[in-house]
Amino acid sequence: MDRIINDFTINIATANGTGSQSANLILLQSLFDMGVPVSGKNLFPSNISGLPTWYIVRLSEQGYQAPGDRTHIQILVNPATWEEDIEALEPGSVVIWNSDTKKKTVEREDIISYPVPMTSMARKINPKLAKLVTNIIYVGILAELLGIDQACLESAVAKQFKGKATAIELNVTALGLGRDYCKENLTKSDPYAVESREVEKPQFFFEGNEAAALGSIYGGVQMLAWYPITPSSSLCEGIINYIPRLRTDDEGNATVAVIQAEDELAAAGMVLGAGWAGGRGMTATSGPGISLMQEFIGLAYFAEIASVFWDVVRVGPSTGLPTRTQQSDISMLYEGSHGDTQHIVLIPGTVEECFEYGWRAFDYAERFQTPVFGLSDLDLGMNRWACSGFTYPDVPMDRGKVVREQEVFEAFETFGRYLDVDGDGIPYRTLPGSGMDPILYRGTGHNPMGVYSEKPEDYYNLMQRLRTKIDNARDHLPAPIIREEKEGEVGIVFLGSMENSIQEIDDLLEATGIKVSQCRVRALPFHSEVEAFVRRHEVTIVLEINRDGQLYGILRRELPNDLVTKVHSVAYSDGMPPRARIYAERILATLEEVKQ
Amino acid sequence: MSDRPARPARPARAVKLNVLNEPKDSYTGGPSSLCPGCGHDQISNVIITAAWENGIEPHRIAKMSGIGCSSKTPAYYLGQSHGFNTVHGRMPSVTTGAYAINKDLLYLGVSGDGDSASIGIGQLIHAIRRNMDMVYIVENNGVYGLTKGQYSATADVGSKKKKGPANETQPIDLCAMAINLGCTFVARSFSGSKKQLTSLLKAAMSHKGFALIDVISPCVTFNNNDESMRSYGYVKENEVTLHMADYIPHFNPMQEVEVPEGHFRDITLHDGSTIRLETISDEHDPSDAMAALMALHGAETGGKHVTGLLYFDATKPSLAEDLCLVDEALLDVPDDILRPDKASLDALNAEFLS
Repeated sequence: MDRIINDFTINIATANGTGSQSANLILLQSLFDMGVPVSGKNLFPSNISGLPTWYIVRLSEQGYQAPGDRTHIQILVNPATWEEDIEALEPGSVVIWNSDTKKKTVEREDIISYPVPMTSMARKINPKLAKLVTNIIYVGILAELLGIDQACLESAVAKQFKGKATAIELNVTALGLGRDYCKENLTKSDPYAVESREVEKPQFFFEGNEAAALGSIYGGVQMLAWYPITPSSSLCEGIINYIPRLRTDDEGNATVAVIQAEDELAAAGMVLGAGWAGGRGMTATSGPGISLMQEFIGLAYFAEIASVFWDVVRVGPSTGLPTRTQQSDISMLYEGSHGDTQHIVLIPGTVEECFEYGWRAFDYAERFQTPVFGLSDLDLGMNRWACSGFTYPDVPMDRGKVVREQEVFEAFETFGRYLDVDGDGIPYRTLPGSGMDPILYRGTGHNPMGVYSEKPEDYYNLMQRLRTKIDNARDHLPAPIIREEKEGEVGIVFLGSMENSIQEIDDLLEATGIKVSQCRVRALPFHSEVEAFVRRHEVTIVLEINRDGQLYGILRRELPNDLVTKVHSVAYSDGMPPRARIYAERILATLEEVKQ
Repeated sequence: MSDRPARPARPARAVKLNVLNEPKDSYTGGPSSLCPGCGHDQISNVIITAAWENGIEPHRIAKMSGIGCSSKTPAYYLGQSHGFNTVHGRMPSVTTGAYAINKDLLYLGVSGDGDSASIGIGQLIHAIRRNMDMVYIVENNGVYGLTKGQYSATADVGSKKKKGPANETQPIDLCAMAINLGCTFVARSFSGSKKQLTSLLKAAMSHKGFALIDVISPCVTFNNNDESMRSYGYVKENEVTLHMADYIPHFNPMQEVEVPEGHFRDITLHDGSTIRLETISDEHDPSDAMAALMALHGAETGGKHVTGLLYFDATKPSLAEDLCLVDEALLDVPDDILRPDKASLDALNAEFLS
């Protein structure tokens, strides 16, 4: 039998709240530390404890990070999903199962079965913590079966339990017990194995939410207002965790105010208040929160208040699938609130970009005096991704057109809060407490001096200026990442966390003889390079994780008429992180339709 | 032009100045667009007087409001102050965010009963709960004015506005609610009681923490008829005043107020000023929440409106203390402090890689 090295998928079926997450992260980290290209996806339920959870570990020499098409090794610990997990396996798959599970067995003849009495083994170590220890035992079994390096395992345990000696000792003992059981009782009859690899550039694992949190800290966030919601809470908690180290003086006083709001409306109101007062305020939420914030988003646009909102998207509409991933808030962010609006949306596709847009969001918000959105999603935000380190901001903080000194203020011939002095649509502002140009900010119609007005020309001119202002932002925002094939036949426009599946999709298409160029959009409104990309290609597919093709809709509307017919949509979502084959097949089908 | 001969010019009088040498004109705003006789305009005048007499630098006040007749009024006072006319009922959250950035301003919120007792009641409650350092005036007339006279959630049972049937829905008493929430300064007044309202507002401005003043402010257009329990006539007849209130500013303690002959109670405010409460009949102890609630419920049962400083507590920490921030306002923290240095990120990257 040929060995299959570093190229298979492990699926771990456990119950939520049993401590399996730390065992799974130890497995992931130890493989990562061996230099094995690996990614992990946590498919968890909206529940504190009891409901089924799956953790998918994919090893891929090509570096593919999407969940694979099938499971090669199934860990079975959860009786609740036992039968369906077995049934889903393809012939030849491996099952490592807890043989202490009451009334459960594995009867399929066409799969490789490794029964392990995990519960009784765990009880031997610590009867009280048996449930918890069971999880680390399957990691020990896997380690022995696959050949995971012991030193890497132990360092992963140490990392996971950061100095908690008892926990570290308990886990290392359980790992050893798993290994010993495997050596003494199981005969390896599967082809799967891992091998260490030299890593060119050292990397570490990091979650997008924590990266965005750290980026916000380096962006000089001064006020965080938040209301807990999955999957964005860890972004806010990330900021809170970094404040003592990075934003607190020797006396223990912070330069960031953190307020847990009573709801998302209040969180948005606080962000606007902070921006109005001249500070850098932000919140992070998910789709339901953005829905609640709509009214304030319109106020921020119309009254021109610098404000930063992160949307870590989960599956909608309504409460939807709260712990699953999607790219379905694109339209809502871009055109948020009633009336004519248009907003700047930053769309990271990597943890490095989560960090970068974490600080840049404030610069854009203050430069353009408008709400700025960070658009992430559960997959990018809550899963761990390989990262080679964060780059320190290469430009000083851009505070925008704020008049702080009396002499500067007096140099203006006429000062009007909404007067377009420079012809770029961006007016100058003064700050509350300064006494300079004290106006009453309002969400009602206003003239260039900031005074209430219902005059047709004042309203018309204001709305035109706002459009110009955001339109001018296009090429100041992050340009798309373009990976171009010289053939120029098919271009794929995509965004955000699809970055982690695109290479596999590209390879699948290339295997059928189709070479595609890639254009990853990193901001809205679209950079002018996006239009140029569409122009250069015969056919462009807009690929996104939703039902309606939201990015496609926006692109179609903004492209010149002669390009509109060149653009086609492939939009698909079932709540799972994007599996490459599904999207590749849909692209092929769409290209086939286009040909006809 | 009038045909009558011009009056002989009066001898020029010196313009009266406050402790900052500012004339009262420095505290006025634009002309009001509310209905002539609106109680809200009287409150605006009280705001101007209180800010001027308290000697607050006019540009160091932030005027906050929501949506409604009352929330339009920030345009009519303190023209040298920045203001924010926000969205319906959400002024407390905007104020909270602004306060987090610049805690050195005096936040003066003006709201109505639609704003505060209906759509924004949650935000009011949570601002009280945080003991947000602000003055919060409710201009309370029992009706929605801008939408032409629907009952609000503070309309008294049995009260009848100009058009339509009497209100039969139980009202929300914002003062009772605030006392139950532990609000640190709770007062009720009447837009027609200029002296009392001025003293209460001055005291509220000297208070550190959330100061609620619920001001009955009749709506002359929709709710000033005889059957209304919030008309000028009704309130004048049925106001139960807890005490005479005098404010003694910290910068001028001896002037302005004479020591009364009867019973009085002095309450020292956070900035060293004093509010002196002179007993009218029964003495009210504003540190006694139970007494305050009894006064409110007693008045309500009798169809009366009780006014005065209902409740006061100087001991609770305000939001600023809870936030554990640096001494200066965050607004004044320089950019190179807000952004940690490169070495700190290098160290983090190295730790992540280890």
